[in-house]
Amino acid sequence: MFEKLIDNSMAKSPWIFHINAGSCNGCDIELVSVLTPRHDAERLGFKLTGTPRQADIVVVSGPITVQTRDRLVRTLAQVPEPRVVVSLGSCPRSGNVFKGSYAIDGPLEKYTHVDVSVGGCTPKPEAIMAALAQAAQILAEKRKEMHK
Amino acid sequence: MLPYLTKAVSNLFHKPSTEQFPAGDPPKAAEGYRGRISYDPEKCVNCGMCIRVCAPQCMERTIEKLENGDQKITFTFDMTSCTFCSMCADFCARHAITLTDDYMIVGTKPEDFLVTGSFVKKAPPPKPRLTPEQIAEMKAKAEAAKKAKAEAAAKAAAAAAADNG
Repeated sequence: MFEKLIDNSMAKSPWIFHINAGSCNGCDIELVSVLTPRHDAERLGFKLTGTPRQADIVVVSGPITVQTRDRLVRTLAQVPEPRVVVSLGSCPRSGNVFKGSYAIDGPLEKYTHVDVSVGGCTPKPEAIMAALAQAAQILAEKRKEMHK
Repeated sequence: MLPYLTKAVSNLFHKPSTEQFPAGDPPKAAEGYRGRISYDPEKCVNCGMCIRVCAPQCMERTIEKLENGDQKITFTFDMTSCTFCSMCADFCARHAITLTDDYMIVGTKPEDFLVTGSFVKKAPPPKPRLTPEQIAEMKAKAEAAKKAKAEAAAKAAAAAAADNG
C-alpha cells in the first residue's frame, strides 16, 4: 500500500557509503568536497552513512589492494539490494600507475558489477556530482524493476 | 553585532555560494586544466614515444596490415587508466596529442572512456622486378668488369716488375 510512497521518498535520498580500497586519498578528498557547502550534494538528498547496511550507493576508490580485497567483498555483500556501485577515479577500473603490482588485485569488475564510473586522476567534484546524479537515476530504475 | 547584521541582510540579496551544477551547464575548468586526451591521427607519425613515457601504460597501438602493403595504425587511449600527467603530450614531437579541458569523464560502458584514432601508413613504392634475362645480363657485365680489372692489375704488376728488373 505504502510501497509507492516509500519508493518515491527513497529515490529522493540515496545514501552513500564510501569504501577506500587502497586509494591515495586524492579521490576521497574530492568526494568529501562534493558534500561540503560549495558543491553540497546533500541538497539533492545524498548523505554519507557510516554503515554499509544503510547504503544505496557504494562509492569505491582505490586500486583494490590485496589487503583490502576481502574486506571490500565482505562490505559489498552487506549492502542491501538494490545497490549501485560507483567506481571513483582511474584506479578501480584499471589499477592506474599501480597496474601490474604484486599488491594489487583489481579491477573492481572482478568482484562486483560497476554501474557508473568516473574517470580522472582525480576527478573534479562536478564530474563526481554528475556520476552521483546518474547513479541515483539508475537506483530508482532498479528499485522500480524490483517491485514490479 | 553590526557587521554580522549587515552581512546577514546583504546575503539576502546575493546568490547562494553553492554551485548550481547538476541544474544547468557544468562550469568551465581552470586554465591549463589537463582533462580528456584528444588525439589527432593526421599529425601522428607512429614514433611510439607516448607509449614509452606513459607510466600507467594507458595507450594501446594496433598495427593492421592491409592488402596493398599499407599499414593501418590505431591508437587507443584509455581514460580510466590515464593519470593526466601530460607526459605524452609533452613528448609528442608532432603535437598530435593534446589534453583538453573536458573533465566530464563519466560513463556506464567501457567505450565511454576510450579515445581512438587511426591512420594509414603508406608502404614505400615497390622495387622494379627484374626478369631472369636481365639478371643474367647484369651478372655477365659484372663478371666482365671484374676480369678487366684483374687483367689491368696483372699488367700493372708486370710493368712494375719490368721497371724494377
